[in-house]
Amino acid sequence: MKRPEVSPPQPWTFPAPRSERLDNGLLVHTFHRPGQHLIDATMVIDLPLAAEPAGVEGVSTILNRCLDEGTAGHPGTTFADDLESRGAVLGAGSSYDAAHVSFEVPATRLAEALPLFAEAVLEPTLDEADVRRHVQLRLAEIEQQRAHPAHRGAQAFRGAVVGSGYRASRPTAGTGETVARITTADVRAHHCAHYGPQRATLVLAGDFGDSDPKQLVADSFGRWQRTTAAVPHETPLGDEPRALLIHRAGAVQADVRLGQFGIDRTDSRWPALRLGAFVLGGGFLSRLNRVLREERGYTYGVQLANTPARHGGLLALHASFRTEVAAAAVAEARELIRVDGDRAITAAELNEAVNFLVGVAPLRCATASGLTDQMAALVEAGLPSDFVNTHALDLKRVIADEATSAVAQLMPPERLTLVVVGDADALAGPLSDQGFALEVLTDQR
Amino acid sequence: MAHMPAVVRYSLHESTLDNGLRVIINPDDTVPVVAVNLWYDVGSRDESPGRTGLAHLFEHLMFEGSAQTSAGEHLAAIQGVGGSANATTWFDRTNYFETVPTGALDLALWLEAERLGTLDLTQHNLDNQRDVVMEEKRQRYDNVPYGDVLIHLVELAFPVEHPYGHPTIGSMDDLASATLADAQRFFSTHYAPNNAVLTLVGDVRPDDGFRRVARAFGQLPKAPTAVRAPAVPLPPLTGTPRRRVSAAVPADAVYLIWRLPTRDTPAFDAVEVALAVLGDGQTSRLHRRLVRTDLIAEGAGASATGLIGGTSIGFANARALPGATTERLEAAIVEEVERFIAEGPTEAEVDRVKAQYEREWLGELARFDTRADLFSCYATLHGDPDAVNRRLDEVRALSVDDIGRAAAALLAPENRAVLEYRRATA
Repeated sequence: MKRPEVSPPQPWTFPAPRSERLDNGLLVHTFHRPGQHLIDATMVIDLPLAAEPAGVEGVSTILNRCLDEGTAGHPGTTFADDLESRGAVLGAGSSYDAAHVSFEVPATRLAEALPLFAEAVLEPTLDEADVRRHVQLRLAEIEQQRAHPAHRGAQAFRGAVVGSGYRASRPTAGTGETVARITTADVRAHHCAHYGPQRATLVLAGDFGDSDPKQLVADSFGRWQRTTAAVPHETPLGDEPRALLIHRAGAVQADVRLGQFGIDRTDSRWPALRLGAFVLGGGFLSRLNRVLREERGYTYGVQLANTPARHGGLLALHASFRTEVAAAAVAEARELIRVDGDRAITAAELNEAVNFLVGVAPLRCATASGLTDQMAALVEAGLPSDFVNTHALDLKRVIADEATSAVAQLMPPERLTLVVVGDADALAGPLSDQGFALEVLTDQR
Repeated sequence: MAHMPAVVRYSLHESTLDNGLRVIINPDDTVPVVAVNLWYDVGSRDESPGRTGLAHLFEHLMFEGSAQTSAGEHLAAIQGVGGSANATTWFDRTNYFETVPTGALDLALWLEAERLGTLDLTQHNLDNQRDVVMEEKRQRYDNVPYGDVLIHLVELAFPVEHPYGHPTIGSMDDLASATLADAQRFFSTHYAPNNAVLTLVGDVRPDDGFRRVARAFGQLPKAPTAVRAPAVPLPPLTGTPRRRVSAAVPADAVYLIWRLPTRDTPAFDAVEVALAVLGDGQTSRLHRRLVRTDLIAEGAGASATGLIGGTSIGFANARALPGATTERLEAAIVEEVERFIAEGPTEAEVDRVKAQYEREWLGELARFDTRADLFSCYATLHGDPDAVNRRLDEVRALSVDDIGRAAAALLAPENRAVLEYRRATA
């Protein structure tokens, strides 16, 4: 049988939410999606981590983790008992730009479970014992993360490429030193100062049937009254390139990152950079993966990933290579990201990248949780809901030269930061031979 | 008991091609996308001694080209139309899947049929993907703390010669010695339309879908496939087998392991709920006892892994906070298991677990790709994709007594094996 023709995709646009503001200022975006029997919701609170008091970084995370440990209406473990018995789940996390509290429940139980979501956001008791326990658990988690090469590498890379002094250069959930200092008073003060309806946006998606989601939200969140002052977002800058080798005696692989501080969705080069990064290290047969995995067998996979924040972002190639070939792989990767001369991105490559990035949007937004996640990411970045659609049009307008030049500007091979987590005894020599001025670090155990 | 809302039932359309390919279609036009999901009834349980890891290595080779496609083109072609594709290997099966815009359904079907009909097995591809798989093993198992836990667990739970006695990733030695002849034999033994189930979920009408599938797969011949020995359930573990691993882990940890019955039998379902009461989420008994009350663990949990071949496995585990020993963690878990067996669960605990099961189940059904995978799964392992529509009712029907009895019969501490991780001192 011959290869079948592919008919062009049906036009798809990101649906416009119903957007309404409650009397207390809470902005509510609702997507009614028939057939989506789980309701997915995220409360985005405009709470940059730069708002954390300097000595107690990580307080946002401890607050997140204590939200479901008891509320005024459901003290202690009765809150989780009640929440779970309704088939609901609550989660909370922080990025550098916002806190997000997520909630999921079968549609049939939305009305009975939504008040619990509101209690967790509005009136967590934040008891001393819970705060102290979560501080201990976070300290243990820091040790777990440090032991994990990919996590250790990601954290070191962030620390190296984001200008020192910016909150975004340090871990979201705080360091051992700052977390150990967090007290119950800190956590309560943080909640008091920043959790308020004017700085919050609630996104909900799913099959609401005949019920009126706005009314349900108003019934639960309408009583939320607290005036909080907005905190400015920091606009970090990148730092000078470095080469860090974090020693892991006997490690069989080297976790490698190569990249630098990048751009965010508001930069005019963003569509071109996304496409260029896909050509170099996004698709399965990207320039990097085709050679380093499919030809050389050096790695299970290599990606060049863009991680935008509200202001700036991270741009990094990431892969794990077996120790014996890691230095050779880094050298080859540096060549593979060059787009000068006859290595410029081609129209055919660009076309596949456009097809992928435009085409996957409906797949990603097919479920309630996919829609909620996408919308919450936009809210967090301060972008409108039609960004997905205007971005799709922008992607289609990019020409190959623009993608080439975005990559050339933002991934200049000689100006990138290298972070390797691996066996320094085996790696330091061959990496230095490639001209990297290595700083070798050894973690204390 | 808390009220249990009615759930959705998905309409299923079934047909079997002359070559034995079983086709299932669940039309859903809420988004212009189709999920294609193909299960081959072969997993690591079908590997022979000395050839572990072959099922998974073979899954990699399935992406390395066919008569009309070059190496890697399968994935690139799907991505090039705005779709996604992948495959996974497990003890009981190998699944391949694509999610594509409606207009690319024929492409996805053709790519799957191409590689089933004309896979390009070469020494070069084998050597390359063997290296890739070894890097996968290093990255996911060997170079991360506790990455090898599954290897130890199956080795403790099963005799080495048992179909489940080795992990799907296989051993480095066996991977190194796999030959092209092994791969060819594996292909001819297990890859045939009559050893597969193909499910479509999404924007496709059943008659149209069957026609397209027949056009792509209809000419492929039926083939004799391996006959598996009937699965014989293993007796409970005895003598408390114990393994102590000294490793570069940040905290000591302990795992308790039990043998359980075949997946989705009433006894398995009941003991799975029992393990969830013990160890799923922050309301569970182990979390409350070890993390919240005794403050000896940074995490504690319990769960079951259902397998079709006569014996499944159940686990309970905890990771120590500084100052706590694995002995103390193990003693606390054993005490909680004993108390559970003596008292049984409460109605409230069982209702919570059922409510959480419902949410997780609806979450699996919300996505086309995971919904399609469930239909393929139940058709392949249980013979009936419509079992997906009955699953919640089966779980809801379990009583507190069923669950208490299953725990008493299956989770007795004397029938456990134990895995301990001790932090190696540098």
